[in-house]
Amino acid sequence: MLDLLVGALVYSNLLALMAVGLSLALITCRVSNFAHGDFAMVGVYVAYTLSVVAGLTPYAWIPAAFAFGGLVSLLAYLLVFEPLRERTDLVTLMVVSMALDMVLRYSLHVYADLMQQWLRVYTRLFMFDDFLVEAAGSRLPGVLPASTAVVAALLASLYVLLYKTRVGVAMRAAIENPGLAEALGVSVRRVFALSWFLSGALAATAGVFLPFRIMVSPDTGWSMLLPTFAAVTVGGIGSLGGSVLGAYLIGFSETVLAYQLAQVGISTAYRPLLTFAAIIVTLLVYPRGLSGLWSGKGWSLRRRS
Amino acid sequence: MVATSEVLAFVVSLGTLYSIYVILSSSMELVYGELGLPDFAKAAFFAVGAFAAGALSVRLGAALAGIAWEGEFKLRSYYYATLVSAKVAENPLMGLVIFVVPLLVAVPCAVLLGVLASYPALRLREDYLAITLIAFSEIVRVVARNYEPLVGGTFGAGVVDVFAWLRSPWRELAMMLTSALFAFGAWLLLYRLSRSPFGRVLRAVRDDEVAAAAYGVDVARVRAWAMALGSGMAAVAGVLYAFYIGSVNPDDFTVSRTFLVVLMVTVGGRGNPKSPPLGAAVYLALDRALLFAKRFLPVPFDVNYVAYAALGVLLILFVMKKPEGLAPERPLLTVDAEATEGVTSRT
Repeated sequence: MLDLLVGALVYSNLLALMAVGLSLALITCRVSNFAHGDFAMVGVYVAYTLSVVAGLTPYAWIPAAFAFGGLVSLLAYLLVFEPLRERTDLVTLMVVSMALDMVLRYSLHVYADLMQQWLRVYTRLFMFDDFLVEAAGSRLPGVLPASTAVVAALLASLYVLLYKTRVGVAMRAAIENPGLAEALGVSVRRVFALSWFLSGALAATAGVFLPFRIMVSPDTGWSMLLPTFAAVTVGGIGSLGGSVLGAYLIGFSETVLAYQLAQVGISTAYRPLLTFAAIIVTLLVYPRGLSGLWSGKGWSLRRRS
Repeated sequence: MVATSEVLAFVVSLGTLYSIYVILSSSMELVYGELGLPDFAKAAFFAVGAFAAGALSVRLGAALAGIAWEGEFKLRSYYYATLVSAKVAENPLMGLVIFVVPLLVAVPCAVLLGVLASYPALRLREDYLAITLIAFSEIVRVVARNYEPLVGGTFGAGVVDVFAWLRSPWRELAMMLTSALFAFGAWLLLYRLSRSPFGRVLRAVRDDEVAAAAYGVDVARVRAWAMALGSGMAAVAGVLYAFYIGSVNPDDFTVSRTFLVVLMVTVGGRGNPKSPPLGAAVYLALDRALLFAKRFLPVPFDVNYVAYAALGVLLILFVMKKPEGLAPERPLLTVDAEATEGVTSRT
């Protein structure tokens, strides 16, 4: 039972970071970014490489993963999405992000092959060693406190950045009405570039926690992607606060439902069906999602033009 | 020195695959290119055809040949596929029945699902619609992957060789000609539709749904028709694919498959019915060229990965530099605006 709770919480923490990042891409360039899962895998391989080469636990390399994942995402914005931002339709942007997913995923595969020969370690289906913490008379995996602390710190910093700084004001202005913000002297390009950096950085950070729970390979990003979309959709597309809420809702219900299925003898392999169904049902029944319930108030950013 | 028969086998195999991709991309061009509906569940409709062949060919064949079935489907389907193929070798008519029945089951199923999938389009913005259809497509795959009685789950299912009554080079040639026939039919249907009043209605809905509705177009009906046609075509491609490969594996029908078809249509030129044969040719040429490169380039990683990454780069480059594709959509033939102005100002 405790295992179940730990699993659900860690999974939800990861989803929260992923979902906020995906939301940032959605509200800035209106890209349903299918390459978002790959940013997480970039984080995994950065932390893995560094911890093999330089020693130390992968936790120590979170800042490096954060920076590198952000950089990859920033490049994706500057080279691909910025030039296309006002020029093409939403579906084409999505198709382009799928193409980017192919480029990143298979580049990571090539990297995994090279890394295997270079460092003589398994580069597919590997896991990270975790430490254990004693709490309330039982031993918990370290990834639980570590991911919770990192998620809380990052989300709090993001909140402060968006609501308490001048850059944050500019970011919110550029998101809500790029044309007006530009007219008032905000460099939309720079502000969006920052958003994209954060988007990839948050995903890459989430990625570092992944191999503490499951075995990963470059394709794992894809299996994280649809749950992330489910979290964003259920939370309400375009709302950062909604995304966080959606992440915990999806994370917990997926884990608990999979457990319930196993109890009645149905394979847990059907687990992804819940998230897929959540996407479809939310979009068809109440497309505004959870944040639609408090729309306009609180931590909700939406493009209004 | 490469033997002539090897070259022939390569060409025939490539021709079959090309035909299947022409059918798939024709169906994508019809729905996505002409109507503008992002049918990103294409892999699922393709899968419906393949699953029909995978689930039915061996069972039907065994029943027709009077072979008693023992053991689980997932463990025994390949074995029985071989047995039934041996029977088909003596009885071509049985091969024909085993080929036609999956078609007759798959196409109506796919048409029905396609019509069903066209309804969310009434409510959703196009990118949300695409995500909904992708989620739907993944549901089909995950269910097929885990529900073993259908096509054997991760074991996959064996498929009967319906041309077993022919000898080796002719057998593959027959498969290619059959596929080519269907491909030509599908493409001709697309071409004729595109040039017909129905094609103009499709593009009118794509360009401005509200305006089209104001002119009396029943948008929901048009979408349902286009999705029915497109999905039925994809199912035909799926049946052919299963018989061509000789087995069915649910993990063959991922979103990547849909992406490849979107790539063909985009590179070929969305909105131009010439795009399916063009785009499919570009894709296969690139794919095979990289496979050849694999033989000569001693690199320390799998060249297939480079091939996929290159396809991604190709699509991004096309969208950025040549968004209209190799064969741009031709504008409608209408009266020149300046000419009409001249007439009206004279009166």
